[in-house]
Amino acid sequence: MIARWILLALLPVVAVIALSQSRRLSAIIGMGLFSLLLAAVYLLMHAPDVAITEATIGAALVTAIYVLAIRRTGRLIVVADEVPGLIAREGKQIVGLEYDILVGFAREVGLDLSIQFVPLRRVRWLIDHHEADMGAGGIIPLAVEASNLMPTPQHLASGVYRFEAKSLPRETARIAKIAETAPDYEGYFSDLLTHDRNGTLPTVATSLDLARVLALGRMGAALHGLDRMDGSYGYAFLIAQKRVELQRDYVGYLTRLRDSGQLETLIGRHFS
Amino acid sequence: MKRMHVRTLLTVGIVAAFAGLVALSYVQTAPDPADSQYYLARPLSETGASNRVAGIYLNYRLIDTLLEVLVFSVAVLGVRYYLRKSDNIDLPDLSESEVVQTAVSFLSPLALLLCMFFAIFGHISPGGGFAAGVIAASALLYVAIAYGMTATEARWDPRRLAFAEKAILLSLLIFILVPAFVGKSPLTDLLPKGTPGDLLSSGSILIYNMLIAAKVFIGAWLIIAAFALHRGEL
Amino acid sequence: MAAIVAFILFGIGILALVLRRDLVIKLLALGMINAASILFFISIGDRQGARSPIQLPGDTAILVDPLPQALVLSAIVVNFAILALALVFVMILCERYHSTDSTRIEQEIAREIDEEETPCL
Repeated sequence: MIARWILLALLPVVAVIALSQSRRLSAIIGMGLFSLLLAAVYLLMHAPDVAITEATIGAALVTAIYVLAIRRTGRLIVVADEVPGLIAREGKQIVGLEYDILVGFAREVGLDLSIQFVPLRRVRWLIDHHEADMGAGGIIPLAVEASNLMPTPQHLASGVYRFEAKSLPRETARIAKIAETAPDYEGYFSDLLTHDRNGTLPTVATSLDLARVLALGRMGAALHGLDRMDGSYGYAFLIAQKRVELQRDYVGYLTRLRDSGQLETLIGRHFS
Repeated sequence: MKRMHVRTLLTVGIVAAFAGLVALSYVQTAPDPADSQYYLARPLSETGASNRVAGIYLNYRLIDTLLEVLVFSVAVLGVRYYLRKSDNIDLPDLSESEVVQTAVSFLSPLALLLCMFFAIFGHISPGGGFAAGVIAASALLYVAIAYGMTATEARWDPRRLAFAEKAILLSLLIFILVPAFVGKSPLTDLLPKGTPGDLLSSGSILIYNMLIAAKVFIGAWLIIAAFALHRGEL
Repeated sequence: MAAIVAFILFGIGILALVLRRDLVIKLLALGMINAASILFFISIGDRQGARSPIQLPGDTAILVDPLPQALVLSAIVVNFAILALALVFVMILCERYHSTDSTRIEQEIAREIDEEETPCL
């Protein structure tokens, strides 16, 4: 008798708490708890059939279905190529300029940020097939006019550097070794590695962008004949053409960052 | 006060007023529960089922239950139809660690055992076909979480399960129509009632329980599988 | 007593349905309205000092009314299936408009209606 009154009084409390959560996952778990309490109440009201059915459905299946459903709704999925300085893993964290920009953007549009590191050539494919929302990772939108991707306004001016690859033969072994230990860098230096495998490396003049050149330098490769190509290039993100709303939000966010000077601060923090 | 707060308070006030009115009218005019003896007044040997609830929804009101099963099937059909085009990117292999797999390997058969208990003893003790089916679906869900969706898909092919679901529905229909050939109206119970409390009592309630358990199990699992495949992972 | 709690839960469910903007929370509130209705059904069959409706022959105890329980048992399972279908529609809506905020989805739809050209007239 007492137990029944306590449980009945607890039900609206749990209900209000569960339905006033701001995170979806908390609300779902709260409703699972509510179902369990409700099953106990049914048992105390002499309805064992109903109690068993409610407990199994409410606690196990409904929770499972909701969790499966909200896995991708409400997330901003970013696929990125790993570039130190822009967006890279250090231990367990992700640091970088683009990462900071993305974190602020996701917070502003109210989505959870989820970053996946993929090789560079997969980034465009994934966005084309609508598997991801944005592409990041030091992308210089040169040849994307043909596809249906829309580059955003650039957030960091960069340059494309051409260098003599014949300076590299001693270094390619080291690059290959680095690529083995950090296999995610493979897409990053994939051009060099392909040429190295084909044996055409000494005759090829390769071009890489600023951040990757800096990263190569940090790894100890000595690049001779470094020459900056003409033209102004800048890093930008990639968003699919059809996502007009997302582009509009991002453009607004970037202009606000730039106007308030926060963009300069962020650049200075990472590239000083 | 801000406009949002005024709107919220107004909504709370209106809903509270209505709920209060309904509660008040119920408290004043609630019928005495001791009056509702329509089905309890009938002798136990009419249905032969110890579980009075099963006796009602699988004997006196069988048509309601069967139509509910039909609604369930249509809902499963709708879920599978709307989630049918799943672009097949590489499904990640999300099987869990050895610890979870070992734990599931002896917990999941326990859940299946519980399902069979509820289905077979549904007319004697609490449970019934619906609870049994749902428990079996959650047992398979544990297996799928522990071993990954691809391994589970390899053993429980959704298309074959859909075919089995239709076969169960068809056999249910045939089982209902059999009395029509003998001369009675459909939906009557031709099997002997036996003594209540035995396993083989209460006529065809046993058969209905098992068929409904299988149907609900397949239906619930197909829903979960459709959701999991659409998301590309479990 | 349990009936009054059922009405309170029903009211909470309706409030959450109206006041929260996220579609998934609205569905959870619909689930709560279901639960409140079922609680009400079970509570009207309950009697003072009665037992569960499992009866062996020769047993003469007072039993709880089994009819509301029978009505509600299959309703719980079917509610689950319908909830899954509603969730499918919410997922499709979210993939189409890239948001689960109901106000924003309404604005998007209004904008689409404004921008499309009516084929007739």
